[in-house]
Amino acid sequence: MNPYILSILLFGLGLGTMTTFASSHWLLAWMGLEINTLAIIPLMAQHHHPRAVEAATKYFLAQAAAAAMLLFASTTNAWLTGQWDIQQMTHPFPITMITLALALKVGLAPLHAWLPEVLQGLDLTTGLILSTWQKLAPFSLLLQMQTSNSTMLILLGLASTLVGGWGGLDQTQLRKILAYSSIAHLGWMILVMQFSPSLSLLALMTYFIMTFSAFLVFKLNKATNINSLASSWAKMPVITSLTPLILLSLGGLPPLTGFLPKWLILQELTKQALPLTATLAALTALLSLYFYLRLCYAMTLTMSPNNLVGTAPWRLPSFQLTLPLATTTTMTILLLPLAPAAMTLMTI
Amino acid sequence: MVYIFFLFLFCLVLGLAAVASNPSPYFAALGLVMVAGAGCGVLVGHGGSFLSLVLFLIYLGGMLVVFAYSAALAAEPYPEGLGSWPVLGVMLTYALGAVMASVFFWGGWYEGSWTSADEFAEFSLFRGDIAGVALMYSMGGGILIMGAWVLLLTLFVVLELTRGLSRGALRAV
Repeated sequence: MNPYILSILLFGLGLGTMTTFASSHWLLAWMGLEINTLAIIPLMAQHHHPRAVEAATKYFLAQAAAAAMLLFASTTNAWLTGQWDIQQMTHPFPITMITLALALKVGLAPLHAWLPEVLQGLDLTTGLILSTWQKLAPFSLLLQMQTSNSTMLILLGLASTLVGGWGGLDQTQLRKILAYSSIAHLGWMILVMQFSPSLSLLALMTYFIMTFSAFLVFKLNKATNINSLASSWAKMPVITSLTPLILLSLGGLPPLTGFLPKWLILQELTKQALPLTATLAALTALLSLYFYLRLCYAMTLTMSPNNLVGTAPWRLPSFQLTLPLATTTTMTILLLPLAPAAMTLMTI
Repeated sequence: MVYIFFLFLFCLVLGLAAVASNPSPYFAALGLVMVAGAGCGVLVGHGGSFLSLVLFLIYLGGMLVVFAYSAALAAEPYPEGLGSWPVLGVMLTYALGAVMASVFFWGGWYEGSWTSADEFAEFSLFRGDIAGVALMYSMGGGILIMGAWVLLLTLFVVLELTRGLSRGALRAV
């Protein structure tokens, strides 16, 4: 893509998220979300093949519907309460509508259907931007809102963890697996949002680090399905041996970083006298763990046979940039002992 | 006055049903014209005369005209009009759905008539919409700049999406 256009679009992505962060008026927040949607559409369709254009179209329709619902709900709130402030919403009807609109924006179940198909049509870099940066702006709005419907948020969370685990079970395409992983992690985040917004933010930040590592591993391997991962032991043996730790961190196993948010969320849910919710969330996380384990098996725990030429690429120098992957892999694996510091940094 | 309002709102819902019933784009644009016209009438009745005129000018006279010309580029010999049974059936279903929804919210006899309330109790030259536009140009300058920047961004987005003729994303061109 033309570098000037690329820089304008990336600037638009930054501007949109920053606008939503800085806003206390619903119209400005909506404006930031629309800027984000607009700026990422050409990035999605940049490869011009029909699958990418289809993904861009589906993304645009879903996000436009969510933004329209957000606008309608904030207008209704202005009509009912006379003010546009984000942090002072009191009427339950606009609050419910805005929560559902933001759930559609972010891909929470049962409003998740667009996410696997959209992510499947994108290349891994744009998919990474979609999975991480585009979640920041709606998340900041969800954090600021007063919750009036505790049951709905818990249902959204449990449905998301269930759908994220169950839907990812039969997938062989890596991007769809990462989409269902995103749905499940967002479910955990919204489960605890009404009780402890700082835990929700911690879950989001750790999810960002873990999914960044996962996307980059797949990008370096140029792999988009599980079969392509089977040859990564011959291409980059060190990354292949560290990837199970990244994947199990995504699955939430101790002593890796991914255990931290799940542990603290389960503790918070128990403190709030919701033991059944905590049990259901933990059980549905087992479903996600199964497909992460399948990826570990295909990639690392099995050295798939290859012809002699195919076992040699690791000898050749690689010219791909691996510093971001190195940083985020370290953080994905080793951040659990720094849990108190991580908790104090999330000061929402 | 009440009857004019009722007529405008009725045409609005009917036009919305016409758009949503999936006819050929020319007839959907006709439905949009009806919706925008009726909506502007309701706006005028509530005191937003400037906003209504701007809506007519920019939405109907700018955006819809461009849409009509673009749709005319993809003209088909037998377009699915509003009289063909697949479209008409869906439209009647939507109209019936709207009637059922309105019956659900039907109030008492006192809701049969209403008066439109404007914002200012006294006689003032600053109506809501005109004063809002003036404020946007004066104290809301930052939003104006951001709005203009977003429009420029939209231009670049559209140009980038349609670049390359048939090698790009629009293979039919």
